[in-house]
Amino acid sequence: MDARLRRVNKEITDCKNDKSSNIKIDLIDESPFHLKGSFPGPQDTPYEGGHFEVDIVIPESYPFQPVKMKFITKVYHPNVSSASGAICLDILKDAWSPVLTLKSTLISLQSLLCSPEPNDPQDAEVAKHFTTSKRSFEETARYWTQIYAGGPGGIAKSGKSPEAVRDDVAIAGLEKAHVDQFEAIGFERGKVIDVLRRLNYRGANVANISEDRVVEELLK
Amino acid sequence: MSTFADIQYDQVDLEQCHAMQLEEWEVLESIYPDCCISSDFSTRYIKLEIPVDLGDSRSVAVTNNKNLSALFPTELAQEISNSIELYDQLSSLPPVLLHISLPAAYPVYAPPEIISLQVTHSWILQVNELQAKLLEMWQSGEGILYNWVEWIRSAEFLPSMNVTEDDFSTLHIPHPAPQLLLPLLKAHDTASKSVQFSQNAYTCSVCLSSYKGARCLQLSCSHIFCRGCLEDFWGLCITEGDIGRVGCPDPACVKNNREADEEEVMRVVSESDLKRWKWLRQKRALEQDPTMIHCPMQFCQTPVPKPKATGDEDSGWARLRTCQACDYSFCAFCRRTWHGPLSECPISFTEVFIIKYMALPENSQGRQDIERRYGASNVRKLIAKYEEEQSNKKWLESSTMGCPGCHVHVEKSLGCNHMTCAKCKQHFCYRCGDKLLASNPYLHFSTPGQPCFSKLFDFTSVDDEWQPVEGFDAL
Repeated sequence: MDARLRRVNKEITDCKNDKSSNIKIDLIDESPFHLKGSFPGPQDTPYEGGHFEVDIVIPESYPFQPVKMKFITKVYHPNVSSASGAICLDILKDAWSPVLTLKSTLISLQSLLCSPEPNDPQDAEVAKHFTTSKRSFEETARYWTQIYAGGPGGIAKSGKSPEAVRDDVAIAGLEKAHVDQFEAIGFERGKVIDVLRRLNYRGANVANISEDRVVEELLK
Repeated sequence: MSTFADIQYDQVDLEQCHAMQLEEWEVLESIYPDCCISSDFSTRYIKLEIPVDLGDSRSVAVTNNKNLSALFPTELAQEISNSIELYDQLSSLPPVLLHISLPAAYPVYAPPEIISLQVTHSWILQVNELQAKLLEMWQSGEGILYNWVEWIRSAEFLPSMNVTEDDFSTLHIPHPAPQLLLPLLKAHDTASKSVQFSQNAYTCSVCLSSYKGARCLQLSCSHIFCRGCLEDFWGLCITEGDIGRVGCPDPACVKNNREADEEEVMRVVSESDLKRWKWLRQKRALEQDPTMIHCPMQFCQTPVPKPKATGDEDSGWARLRTCQACDYSFCAFCRRTWHGPLSECPISFTEVFIIKYMALPENSQGRQDIERRYGASNVRKLIAKYEEEQSNKKWLESSTMGCPGCHVHVEKSLGCNHMTCAKCKQHFCYRCGDKLLASNPYLHFSTPGQPCFSKLFDFTSVDDEWQPVEGFDAL
């Protein structure tokens, strides 16, 4: 049995036996090198109550090369790409150490949710939202936790089709009034949401962006 | 036989003593197996070798201070002209060797008899005093061997030997010749540590398995790993040319970029890997210099530095490089054999006719002429080489981005578009190849109006799009 398989098996067993950490690692298919990790959102954060799943691919030369991880669950966080779930955490790249395990790496992801690093953003738009208005950012992150991660007050588990109840304005972290205002001018709603999100039309920043600037973007 | 009668021990008592002796020895052997060297109960002769354990590494001073000279034999005390005090960190001191004979009446009626008492390297000079102290400890009816061993082993006996502890918990050992004694103490400490290390078991935190110390290695940062894992890890890094990662695998050491030193690498990797590691390290040091050119000879490729200033930078001589390894002289511009300081770099003749040949239709007269002139197999070889170069160039252009700092080409496998060059540490954008500010590299992606605005993640491959779990099977 090769060293990589032996170590991965040990890690999976160790994780199963450890009831205190709340970190779970499951097989996706037959292969022990493609796994699914999951952990609860940390307490006292907008991610509390959510259940976050991470796709784990163990490379050929593991543990000497870093494990590949990305979020399966959509996460609204400055250090996670809101489009692909890609995570640019230092330990997943050049700060990787063969001593780190799947469990310790998942714990690092969990603590990344506790402490966003907006100065080292992986999603520039989310990071700008975070720095412009932390309160509004947290609201959006909480909303994402509800609809994508099964968070409290969520609708994911209600009988209705999620698509029908999902509020695109809340997903984008915008105010309904702002979207309505530009939709009323005659622009398509989807496009308005897109442009306002890109321009970070939120909180105090609204005063910095003239309506003309928004219309100019909408006309592009 | 009459002697027994004289001191009036009866047979029952002696049998009881014998049983007590055997029991005491058994207990002692099970608690301190490394101290009990030998015993022969037919002659009741015992050898003990008791190491002095200082616990964690602590500061030890060997001093020939005048105030202490009263402790030294007079002829030595007179020779001491000026006082010396030498320090080191030690975790053990050389052992005390005890040869003991147990009288038949021990432990009930008689103390053990000390036949000889020696201290390795004589770091304690007052052996007679030590012997007296040991004998004082005996009380009728009680086995004393355990107390002796414990008293010496735990270093508790040191104060009675005039080895004192100061306010900074440094031990001061009086000795007439510190400069001779301290190296011996150090050598003993190192040897006993290595024996201890090889006997202990350690869990390698890379393979998560437990090994005897002999199969492990303690790095200079004190982290311990099994040799197998270190060999695999460093071997892989050396094969991949990533020598910056040849170091302690501990996360804290990785963050501090702690690289292994030559001795550590030598103890872990194979002969050929060591050779390559040394070569890569030298290469890296040389490549810090941007004027460095690799020798164009295929078999050589030794880095050739720019010669020391020759005076006129505009002179044609500034193009001349001579390889130190193979003596090949070449032009720094075109990498061809040195063509003198005056003549321009020649255009490759072969490249010209290969391009011409490729442009001609298959089986045409023109192609046949070229084949006849240069040899058909030669032409085929040159074309293969040319096509490989072209496809290499095409691949470099389409799937990689050159670092704007050192022009090394990198191919991104995953992650965002903010790249940091592993070679020259330049921050750059993988999309457009622009240099990025090291202080705020993300400004490039977050400034509206910039071509890469909000393109930190612009994946062209479908695999990278957010998909349900089933979709990842493709990976």
